[in-house]
Amino acid sequence: MQSQDEILERIRGTLVELFELKPAQITVDARLYEDLEIDSIDVVDLMDEVQKHTGRKVTPEDFRSVRTVGDLAAVVQRLTHA
Amino acid sequence: MSAEPHLATPQGQPGLATEPAVRRQDQWLWRFFVTGFSFLMFGAGALIVGMVLLPIVKLIPAPQDVKRQRARRVMSAALRFFIGCMHRGGGMTYEFSGRERLGRPGQMIVANHPTLIDVVFLLAFAPGAGCVVKQGLWRNPLTRWAVTLVEFIPNDQAASMIDGATRALHEKQTLIFFPEGTRTRPQQAMVFHRGAANVALRAATVVTPVYIRCQPTTLTKAEPWYRIPPRRPHFSLRVGDDLDLSGYRHAPLPSASRAFNDELHRHFSQELARSTAIRP
Repeated sequence: MQSQDEILERIRGTLVELFELKPAQITVDARLYEDLEIDSIDVVDLMDEVQKHTGRKVTPEDFRSVRTVGDLAAVVQRLTHA
Repeated sequence: MSAEPHLATPQGQPGLATEPAVRRQDQWLWRFFVTGFSFLMFGAGALIVGMVLLPIVKLIPAPQDVKRQRARRVMSAALRFFIGCMHRGGGMTYEFSGRERLGRPGQMIVANHPTLIDVVFLLAFAPGAGCVVKQGLWRNPLTRWAVTLVEFIPNDQAASMIDGATRALHEKQTLIFFPEGTRTRPQQAMVFHRGAANVALRAATVVTPVYIRCQPTTLTKAEPWYRIPPRRPHFSLRVGDDLDLSGYRHAPLPSASRAFNDELHRHFSQELARSTAIRP
């Protein structure tokens, strides 16, 4: 079972690659929209990546309340262990 | 051009005109009535097409996609008739070059959006094309039936718009997109939202720009419909060369779609900055 830290590391890697961010920007409390400039269209691209990595279908409902990297990690953890 | 300062300018304020005051000409009063009548005709037509013609078309037994294409062609024919009436009524003139290049399978048509009736021209002359339009049309009692039956795609939620649009293109439909999402603010630079670029990179077989001009301007965001321009407006639509997507295939979609969106914006800015459309 993946620990939260491992999931956070994987997410950090994905966000850095997908959005050309710096690893230091990606903290648990970093807000996707305000801090990382990830807008609604980017979120769709992100959902595709999560789907690819977890092998699980991702719906807009899963992401509806995702505001921070921490929220994102929680969703990924939930999907991975569903 | 004679300048009679007491006559209406596009902003309706004598003395504060952004262009020199022009005498009302080309049967201004007649055009006023033709324009008003055109609005009524459009509303009545949308109801008749949406509540009578299209439902009948969709009742004829056929696979779902054939029904949808038939419905779109009927709507397209109705819109060509509407344009013909406005034209023969003397409300406006138009030219549309390159339309034979529209309507290819999996083609994304992107266009700028200076006036209310750009969509009408594109739908009229690209029969069978779908369109990404604003959510409000499903709430508008005049248009809701028609947009539902021709299966247009609402532009409210990014995820569902991208899902619907990519599915349509993968099914080899032609899809019309206005990257500005709304009419251009006159005197301001165009702003292109990234949704069209993102969908293009996901699913389009080809991206074809259509450059739309209207001189003098009318039916823009800046003025109400009854500010009829002093001269008869001329719509000029030109289908541009297909755009090359191959340079964008290797980067992740977030940055590739931003880069492609910037290229789209450059093409349109450059083309529209030219003073007149080039005629063959």
